Amino acid sequence: MKNPFSSRVDYKALDDTELVALAKEDMDAFGELYERYLQKIYSYVFYRTGNAHDAEDLTAKVFFRALSHIGAYVDKGVPFQAWLYRIAHNLVANWHRDQGRRKIIALDEYVAHSLKSEAPDRLTEEREEQSQLLQAVRRLPEDRQQLLLLKFVEQMSNAEIGAIMGRTEGAIKSLYHRTLLALREEMEMLQNSDLNRSEG
Amino acid sequence: MQDLLDAITTGLQNGDRVDSAIAQSDLPQEDADDFVEMIQALQSALTPQEPREAFAADLRAELKKGESSFLERLRGMPARVHVAAFLAICFGFVLFALRRLFGSETPQEMQEEAVVTPL
Repeated sequence: MKNPFSSRVDYKALDDTELVALAKEDMDAFGELYERYLQKIYSYVFYRTGNAHDAEDLTAKVFFRALSHIGAYVDKGVPFQAWLYRIAHNLVANWHRDQGRRKIIALDEYVAHSLKSEAPDRLTEEREEQSQLLQAVRRLPEDRQQLLLLKFVEQMSNAEIGAIMGRTEGAIKSLYHRTLLALREEMEMLQNSDLNRSEG
Repeated sequence: MQDLLDAITTGLQNGDRVDSAIAQSDLPQEDADDFVEMIQALQSALTPQEPREAFAADLRAELKKGESSFLERLRGMPARVHVAAFLAICFGFVLFALRRLFGSETPQEMQEEAVVTPL
């Protein structure tokens, strides 16, 4: 490979397809892809694992795997971004299998961090609401969690989500509809169980 | 219904008003309000996360050196390489065990010796 991360070529001006073609032999091109996708992959893995430590560990694995496989990557209509997310998705699935359990709400770490600057009187209430919502999200099936993360965290279009999940735009729209209905039910169940607990 | 939810979500993400889309639909106002509230809650709960700068820099440096672990590199190889590696390990183990059982000679060497001795 060429001298890593040098700047002889304006990599930022290249699109993903051009960078991937170069990255097969040029570490600088892979470095640019890393810069483009690190935050996105980290965010995705963070929400799927629920904690920063495992998110860092899995994010590193995603990029090492991408680096070791990029020579064999062939663009058969699946964009590089989708390919990278699929690696992340598979590694997260393996992680959940290895854990043998689903961490229900380690995302408290995130909720506490995101609300620490807000007014104290609103803090507790909003923290509870967000915690409950994230708990409900994490109780959904894997594909529905993935859809919500791609739609809300990454702000992707249905077409982009479809490319990652291997489904049509129509199927994504339909899955989103079912996901919101299921999420509403989950929220109602959580709220009812909280109510029963406080009454009991 | 699925088109409406999709339109509401896109509208809210773009900061547009969604009242007219809801008014034109058959969805009862109460249900519409529930969905709008849920979508807004998802918007504020699911926000991008930034990795630690130190982590990003360390990983960048490790990738630059190509310092993946041996296991990670092995995992990245095709299935036929895994099978070949497994067979090689098995063969090595069998060979080692045979040498332990029959001293430094392999069974083939012993057979050859047995054939040669009478002459």
